[in-house]
Amino acid sequence: MAAGKTVITLICERAADLNSLLNEQDALSELPDVRVVKFPCSGMIQPLMIEAALKAGAGGVIVCGCQIGDCFYREGNKMIRDRLTGERPPGLKKAVDRRRVMALWLSRRQKERFLTEAKEFVLQMQKLDATDVSSKAAEPAAK
Amino acid sequence: MTSSVKNESNSNWWKDWYNHFIAGANRLTLLIEDGINFAITSKYNPFYYHGALPQFYMWVLLLSGLLLFAYYIPTVDSAYFSTKMINAWTSVQYITESLPFGGVIRGIHRYSGDAMVLFIFLHAIRVWFTDRYRQYRWVQWTSGVVLLLMVLFIGQTGYYLVWDERSLLLTRMTVSALNALPIIGEPLKSWFLNGNTITNLTLSNFLFIHIGVSFALFFVLWVHYVRMTRPVLTPPPAVNFILVGAILLIVYLFPIACGKMADLNSQPNAYDIDWFFLWNYWLMSIMPISVFWLLMIVAGVLSLVLPAIVKNVSPPVIPAEVVINKCTGCSLCYRDCPYQAIEMVPAPAGSRFKLLATVKTARCSSCGLCVGACAFDAIDLPQLPDAAVTAQIKNLVEAK
Repeated sequence: MAAGKTVITLICERAADLNSLLNEQDALSELPDVRVVKFPCSGMIQPLMIEAALKAGAGGVIVCGCQIGDCFYREGNKMIRDRLTGERPPGLKKAVDRRRVMALWLSRRQKERFLTEAKEFVLQMQKLDATDVSSKAAEPAAK
Repeated sequence: MTSSVKNESNSNWWKDWYNHFIAGANRLTLLIEDGINFAITSKYNPFYYHGALPQFYMWVLLLSGLLLFAYYIPTVDSAYFSTKMINAWTSVQYITESLPFGGVIRGIHRYSGDAMVLFIFLHAIRVWFTDRYRQYRWVQWTSGVVLLLMVLFIGQTGYYLVWDERSLLLTRMTVSALNALPIIGEPLKSWFLNGNTITNLTLSNFLFIHIGVSFALFFVLWVHYVRMTRPVLTPPPAVNFILVGAILLIVYLFPIACGKMADLNSQPNAYDIDWFFLWNYWLMSIMPISVFWLLMIVAGVLSLVLPAIVKNVSPPVIPAEVVINKCTGCSLCYRDCPYQAIEMVPAPAGSRFKLLATVKTARCSSCGLCVGACAFDAIDLPQLPDAAVTAQIKNLVEAK
């Protein structure tokens, strides 16, 4: 599985509890391609950070917040959700390949769900890399 | 979610104990909420709008109370029409037994009050167990305790208004409880009775307190909401129907009956207790009055200042900081801040922009929502600057 590109996970530290799944390199032990960056709240994730990850060559980005309705800081997960869907500024640039961004809303107890979704996402990204000619270039797709 | 506590003083054992307790309570709520999410999806999970539930019943109480007010007569004994006596009790009896759907409206008013108290407790326990009541949220907690005390008091005055034997007994118990207070007891008693004995003026005073304090609720609710952007005010419509349906079902199953009319010359000594509103009268009857007052006052003050008591169980919040020369005054962070912690002020002289964001540090939760809202890197959490996060992301991608 380690053949694919890195998948960056931007996750709220109060959402799915990944601590037991991580190794020293902030990667999932089961899926070393998936690297994890933690935030105090998913609302802190800037669309610019997603763009930066893809531009640096990440295969995809997983955004993970708590269950919608249950943000510790009241509205953080709704904010990033609306920013990803373009309903609230600042949004993702049009050039960003939407197929390479996945959002998950998981409570602290749902790490197994995270793992299955991440596995599937990694496979999808590998498929995408194999078929998508434009992604073979150093620049992100559809510039 | 337990925060690491540094070894600073010898009072650490209780900090550890408290954090341990909250972590356990949090796990419990998560377990329950995950179960509910599984059953009815997060959209309808009542734990995700638990503050809106008591407010919904507040509107139900306001409307049903308005209808009851139209027929209620706040007197004890002096209003006669021909030979028939008309007083508070007979007007309530008329509402209950003669008016079309009067008994239903009265039942809705009674049971919605109970439901409101129930949901306020659910709301309070949830914010306590999920640690969402202290630091930058202390205004919400303290005003919430005031709201609960007001709601309990309003409910009790409602029980005086029907003027059956229970009302008389409760009034007398309240008078003797107030009498037991030093210095302020006597004036409080004459305020409560609107005189020195129970008269028609007493009942009009009860009605005034019942309705007046109800309207004062709106002011305290404003304080409750003032530090929250976009508070959740209503449950999903489908749930509103269920909430009304539940009340109607209870009204149908347990209709409200009229008690015996209060007789000022009698000495009633037993009554049914509404455990949502009248529990303190039960406490009053099982312990000496001085112990009762001590218990009430200590419990009340402790709940009011709870956020201050547990202030040190976690490190203080490090507020967000605005990078003054980057801020364009676009107001996005101001609009998105969930705690009204950002204020737009006129930009300093010589700036290219009209406005500048500033952080009200006491309100800031350090959640970073403003960082996510800013497209100019102009606001930062000092402990986690967005430049560092972006650098970390790039490092992780390139580390392969």
